[in-house]
Amino acid sequence: MIEQYHHKLTNSFMLWFDNYLLTKGQAYTNHTGVKLEHYSDDRIDSAYKAYGSPYKQWVFDSSVSGAVIPDGVTVGNTPTGSYNSLVSGREGMALDFDNGRALVETSNENYEVTADFSVKDFNLYFTNETEEDLIVENKYTINSRVPSAGFGPIEPYDQVIPAVFFNTNTSNNKGFAFGGMEETTTTITATVMSEDSYMLDGVLSIFNDSKNESIALIPISEHPFNEFNDLKEGSFNYKDLSEAHNKCGSLYINNVNTSKLTDRARKSLSNNIFVGFVDFEIQQHRFRHQ
Amino acid sequence: MIKIPKSVIKELERKSQKTKKADYTKTFKKNFDKTKEEMIEEFLSDPVTVELLSGPSGSNISGTLNGNSNLFAFIGFQSGDNPTEPILSLLKNTSYKDAGESRKGRKFSVIMPTTDDIFSVTPMPWATGRSWAKGIETGISGLGFLLNKSTSSSRSGVAIQARSKVRSGKFNNRPYISALLKKYKKKFKEIR
Repeated sequence: MIEQYHHKLTNSFMLWFDNYLLTKGQAYTNHTGVKLEHYSDDRIDSAYKAYGSPYKQWVFDSSVSGAVIPDGVTVGNTPTGSYNSLVSGREGMALDFDNGRALVETSNENYEVTADFSVKDFNLYFTNETEEDLIVENKYTINSRVPSAGFGPIEPYDQVIPAVFFNTNTSNNKGFAFGGMEETTTTITATVMSEDSYMLDGVLSIFNDSKNESIALIPISEHPFNEFNDLKEGSFNYKDLSEAHNKCGSLYINNVNTSKLTDRARKSLSNNIFVGFVDFEIQQHRFRHQ
Repeated sequence: MIKIPKSVIKELERKSQKTKKADYTKTFKKNFDKTKEEMIEEFLSDPVTVELLSGPSGSNISGTLNGNSNLFAFIGFQSGDNPTEPILSLLKNTSYKDAGESRKGRKFSVIMPTTDDIFSVTPMPWATGRSWAKGIETGISGLGFLLNKSTSSSRSGVAIQARSKVRSGKFNNRPYISALLKKYKKKFKEIR
């Protein structure tokens, strides 16, 4: 199937949300010289060995001022795996920004691998799960952003909190102007799950002020990741990309509403997490028949 | 021919306008009261309102839950809550004021609640920044219901028994406050 409006919308919204949270809230932590430990992962090609960090979702957007975007790792004392534009990739390895790890093309499981990176304070996930399934089922492990002794690599693929889960709820078109222009309204709910009230309040405050922001409509082909969750072009700059696409026809946030799970309700949860909601109403005026 | 003094003519005009104004006001008030009463009546007879007014033991006559459980328990209200009361109060406060003369008589402006006014007085019991009245139109998750269920004594009293039934279905949105206000805004405008 070829790309549809909805595909572009979810792609654009996720990239915008990520950049907005990281820049407005400086919602990331820099780590240097973090030891990446080997663990087995039967989903990856046998030519690679996974060396994982204790954190998921490293920052990949170089327009976030102050964030450390890794370009390879250090094996022993040798920096390795810088992006090579001649081969359109890293030689002998790939970085997996989503799972916070390096995939090294080797059979050696005992390399001394270290990396410098920034980790997001909140992981971001798109989901089709209902709010009750997300919050009540208690299926997410906490990947604390506060370092403690004995931290090992975190399991790949599983979703962990603190995180923001996005769900596209409803979408509708209504006539807007002569000539067939329509107003497409899509509601997206962001369910924010945090370890503490301070962080939750921060996210809600940032996005409560996002009303009337415009979001560049970015096609999926411009998504920064390849099949390893590594950067396709070696770097990614949201600001530049959004400026290139921020022409007439952008999305905008028509309305936004934030709320928190009351303390009384929260106490009935079996896990001690803080939950909030950001309900976005995203609009675009478009000619859907063209 | 008798010449009528200018002062008398002026006085006659003044008195006639007063009478006209009184007539216009009386007619408008009569029609306004009737429309307002209709609006409140329609709100109170809406299946969603009726279902919520029947409390935790009501049945799902609004069809929003495919007949399973009821809205009161699903949203997560406490037994004894009267969630529709703030809406009723706002609707009852609908009023009008004389806005002066117009070419055809007099103008009146009607002051009625907006959807935002209604949404701001109808908080979800478990997330007070969200409106249950808006949720009827856009969708409500089963979170309130499950949170209610997971407390040792359910606040709605009968929520626990219906858990499995509710989880197997989904919430069906339906028009509620926005449609009502839109309809009566138009009706108030049509009053002559």
